[in-house]
Amino acid sequence: MFSFRIIRSASAAITGNVVRRATSLKVDPSQKKSLSDFGKYVADCMPKYVQKVQISSGNELEILIAPEGVVPVLQFLKDHHNAQFAVVSDITAIDVPSRHYRFELIYNLLSLRYNSRIRVKTYTDELTPVDSCVEVFKGANWYEREIWDMYGVFFSNHPDLRRILTDYGFEGHPFRKDFPLSGYVEVRYDDEAKRVVVEPVELAQEFRKFDLESPWEQFPAHRSKPAAEDVAIDK
Amino acid sequence: MANRVAIQKTVRHVKPLISQNNQEARSRVFGLYKAWYRQIPYIVMDYDIPKSVEQCRAKLREKFEENRHVKDIRVIDALVIKGQQELKETVNIWKQKHHLMSQYFKETQEPKPKDFLSKFLAGQ
Repeated sequence: MFSFRIIRSASAAITGNVVRRATSLKVDPSQKKSLSDFGKYVADCMPKYVQKVQISSGNELEILIAPEGVVPVLQFLKDHHNAQFAVVSDITAIDVPSRHYRFELIYNLLSLRYNSRIRVKTYTDELTPVDSCVEVFKGANWYEREIWDMYGVFFSNHPDLRRILTDYGFEGHPFRKDFPLSGYVEVRYDDEAKRVVVEPVELAQEFRKFDLESPWEQFPAHRSKPAAEDVAIDK
Repeated sequence: MANRVAIQKTVRHVKPLISQNNQEARSRVFGLYKAWYRQIPYIVMDYDIPKSVEQCRAKLREKFEENRHVKDIRVIDALVIKGQQELKETVNIWKQKHHLMSQYFKETQEPKPKDFLSKFLAGQ
């Protein structure tokens, strides 16, 4: 009897006209409209560099640009009267080895004037230099050093490109997908040499592949939706 | 027309890292080698490592010879940039003694067993 009532009340929440999803993000259509309009405006202003404009998660505007356009596009977004994205809140990268240009650089900008955020994305590979945006944003200095250290993306015209997180003498770029989880070397104090020595890593246990993926689909209601939706721009 | 498309597909224009041609890359490598060579007496003195200047210069030569096979200009440039960063870290004494000793003179590492008997004794 008890379990029956539970089932009844659970189904009542779904069978009404309005399906309530407590955890799903509510999208504001007017905000989305203004974001996509602004995306189109940026694409119209910089047709040479903007390749694609999209909105992800309903309210995050993303501008996908060619790598030559990093400095001009960021300068435009910083200095244009209707944008004023004067704060660089983050620069990061992701590594997708299967792509032709394996690294994706992501610039997150914030406009305090219009209380708005924007994301600029571009791409590169191990040996293609990207123009540094330190001349546009002073705060980009350490972010670019971090990307150089972790991914090995070279930034040309950077004032002080050197390692920032890894130890001196560290070899390799740890955030690359082909860098092993356990690393290449291990460090210990050697009593005979009276110093710290670095040796190739020796693991007592065999390498294990941990499959952390659940066999069940966790968000079936959001299955068919793509992560980002395109904003049509004139090409 | 088809020919041009085929050429465009096979010849990929790449952005140079720094050097435009082979000679420039080559002179950069020599410049880096000379800079290290000249700094070695000061490095040996500053870090007080148990190596002589001659041994360090032999090691320098060995490290450069390791990459002798590299022909791609951009790869050479990338290696030169990393070498310059290393030199800066070393000369400014951002590193410590153990960094130098364990990065270049790997004395505590046992060489990997190559022939059958030594592999067997190592338990492989």
